[in-house]
Amino acid sequence: MSLFGASTGFGAGGFGAATTDTHNPMKDVEVTSPPDDSISCLAFSPPAMPGNFLIGGSWANDVRCWEVQDNGQTVPKAQQMHTGPVLDVCWSEDGSKVFTASCDKTAKMWDLNSNQAIQIAQHDAPIRTVHWIKAPNYNCIMTGSWDKTLKFWDTRSPNPMMSLQLPERCYCADVVYPMAVVASADRGLIVYQLENQPSEFRRIDSPLKHQHRCIAIFKDKQNKPAGFALGSIEGRVAIHYINPPNPAKDNFTFKCHRSNGTNTATPQDIYAVNAISFHPVHGTLATVGSDGRFSFWDKDARTKLKTSEQLDQPITACSFNNNGNIFAYASSYDWSKVTFYLTAAPLGSQPLTYMVCWASVTEHYPISPIWISIRGTLNLGKGILRGLP
Amino acid sequence: MPVCNFWMQGRCRYGDKCWNEHPKAGGGGYGGEYNSRPPQQSNRGGGGGFGNRVWVNPAQRSGGGNYVQPSSFSSQQGGNNWGPGGGGGGRDSQAQSSNFSFAASSPNQNRFSALNTQSSFDKGGRGEGEDNEKHLETIQKDMEIWETSGQWLFSCYSVLKATISGFTELSPEELRLEYYNTKPSGDLQGYANVINQLVNQWRSRVQELRAMSGNTRVAMLAELDNPAPQAASGGFGSTPVTGFGSSAPSGFGTGFGVPAQVPVQDTSGASNFSFAGPGAASAALGSAASAVPPAPTGIGSMATTVPSAAGFSFATSAANKETTTAGFGAPASASGFSFASTVAGGGGAFGGSGFGSAAPVAASGFGQASGGFGVMAPADSLFTPHSQLSEEELKEFGGKRFTLGQIPLKPPPVNMLVV
Repeated sequence: MSLFGASTGFGAGGFGAATTDTHNPMKDVEVTSPPDDSISCLAFSPPAMPGNFLIGGSWANDVRCWEVQDNGQTVPKAQQMHTGPVLDVCWSEDGSKVFTASCDKTAKMWDLNSNQAIQIAQHDAPIRTVHWIKAPNYNCIMTGSWDKTLKFWDTRSPNPMMSLQLPERCYCADVVYPMAVVASADRGLIVYQLENQPSEFRRIDSPLKHQHRCIAIFKDKQNKPAGFALGSIEGRVAIHYINPPNPAKDNFTFKCHRSNGTNTATPQDIYAVNAISFHPVHGTLATVGSDGRFSFWDKDARTKLKTSEQLDQPITACSFNNNGNIFAYASSYDWSKVTFYLTAAPLGSQPLTYMVCWASVTEHYPISPIWISIRGTLNLGKGILRGLP
Repeated sequence: MPVCNFWMQGRCRYGDKCWNEHPKAGGGGYGGEYNSRPPQQSNRGGGGGFGNRVWVNPAQRSGGGNYVQPSSFSSQQGGNNWGPGGGGGGRDSQAQSSNFSFAASSPNQNRFSALNTQSSFDKGGRGEGEDNEKHLETIQKDMEIWETSGQWLFSCYSVLKATISGFTELSPEELRLEYYNTKPSGDLQGYANVINQLVNQWRSRVQELRAMSGNTRVAMLAELDNPAPQAASGGFGSTPVTGFGSSAPSGFGTGFGVPAQVPVQDTSGASNFSFAGPGAASAALGSAASAVPPAPTGIGSMATTVPSAAGFSFATSAANKETTTAGFGAPASASGFSFASTVAGGGGAFGGSGFGSAAPVAASGFGQASGGFGVMAPADSLFTPHSQLSEEELKEFGGKRFTLGQIPLKPPPVNMLVV
């Protein structure tokens, strides 16, 4: 696992390439047998499980599991089907079960050992998010749905343990015990506290002006959830602390996933932030966007660490593995250009769905202080990073 | 916070660090959360005069720092509060560019211009009216950016705490699911029409806000001062939205998926989006009411102008939502019946559920007749006069629903139709 060797590979790939391969410009390892349709979510196995297993849910109604070996090679392991596109996946903390949420309004629990999946949740509308909550006195699944409810399920019972009303359709959520946060349509933002039993903790006025798209909780130095990063369709991420010493100063937003970043003369292209993921060790965050790039950021130093080359398709999902050595990102169509395709061209002549879809696993150099100190050499590559034809 | 006397004399040695208030101009008047404590330590108590310049604390925005402006970003201090983030470079302006690499390497760019109109800072005690003017300008600028940037169209938008009306909020996943649901029926044109329609609505709203005509200005100012409740979609006041959003999700998945196939016109296609909530629904409704398609091709039988509303009649009759959609699901052609178009509100249930149960009887009749009643009725009339109807039949027509086994074979009298 020559991680540092990979860093020069990164630079070289950018430098020497006369024609940029936009399918896999970062020269990362491509996952074998990707799903047949866009990938909506990725999740790596938790630390309790030896080895790295990657779960990906897709719009082809399936959930696939790959084993990711240390050299980056992937081995497809198993697959389960829903009757509708899968929108979210998550692992139980012991790594034995995978929970999948789908547009068929159900969530299923997939026991990997027996390769059986049973339904554990039901909503009135597609379920957008699913998370496993492990509390000292209870375990449950939290599902957020477009029927504007947030339900908590004990996997053994067909009725929810609890059902909370949301102001609007649930668009994204994240859980790091004892905190859960849900972002809904119409810029709704609610934080829940999960001790004893889930209850609404606070409704927050959204720091963003447009539709919420993705959210991820980050932890502080004591490994306790301290706040969250919220991404919108407008190429902007807000970092919000729950109880900061100085809210005005500590909370901030930054722009990302925009074209011609420095040039303000010509109008920018603004892309949606499709997913945000925090590095489990370093606390740096990765954002992936509709522009087909992923970026790493340090929210404490408020700097951008790296942006990838541009892929030919939007990046729809991303995930770090449990120790942060592997970063997986999926490149597939995210429907962001539907207005363009349907209004600019007659039906049938433009691809209305994805063209190619694949997930790529990359062994990335760790985002660590060592990385930052070699920024001197990185700066050389910065021009290549940003300047695409 | 008490006003700092030294500041008033121009000699406060704490500068921005001072715990008392340093009013901008004329003192007081502006009661917002004025955090005199400086966001950045680098302003070494430069004295009163200097303190002004780096006043970038955004907390004063009404609403208390909703739009978090990282004050330490936009000012040009030496970046010495950045800590290790700067990396190997020196702590001078060169490092600044790397520090601000969040958005760009240009140090003086105000990254948050969309969120924070810089000029709003210096408002001090000028009061709400000025704020609103700035907000209107912000709105205009944002609209311009939105139009040219190619970002997702179906998003809400807001300047203050509440969202600005007139924007439908749909996520890409919802639209995509919609596409996948309509694909089996092959009615992609309907889907495309709906998208087009939504785009047009969006575009007109954006242009309206961008132009900021007198009317729009007044409306916007009213909104900014009194945030409207989220449920109402201001842009489409002409159509009733009640009952839509609440009942939409349940009916959507099942019932709407089916009827949507048959009608080709935008409006019923738009009925698919009623699930998206009041905003979207009213948007669809609004367009339906305003732009009634003259002769929808798919149905043929819909000669009346009401059919556009037909798509929604079964939706707006929230009480019978469940039954109506279920009823529609069974007879696939039933969605085309003009009968539903002539009723609204409670009558919708009457038409809908009745056909659900009377499918074999009614559907066949409608399949043939253009007016929908031709086969059933005596050849010379569409409606049966009261006199020709028996007691039971009158009772059936008068009731909310048909009872199975007693559905009249003759069309109802015209005055019993609730339009």
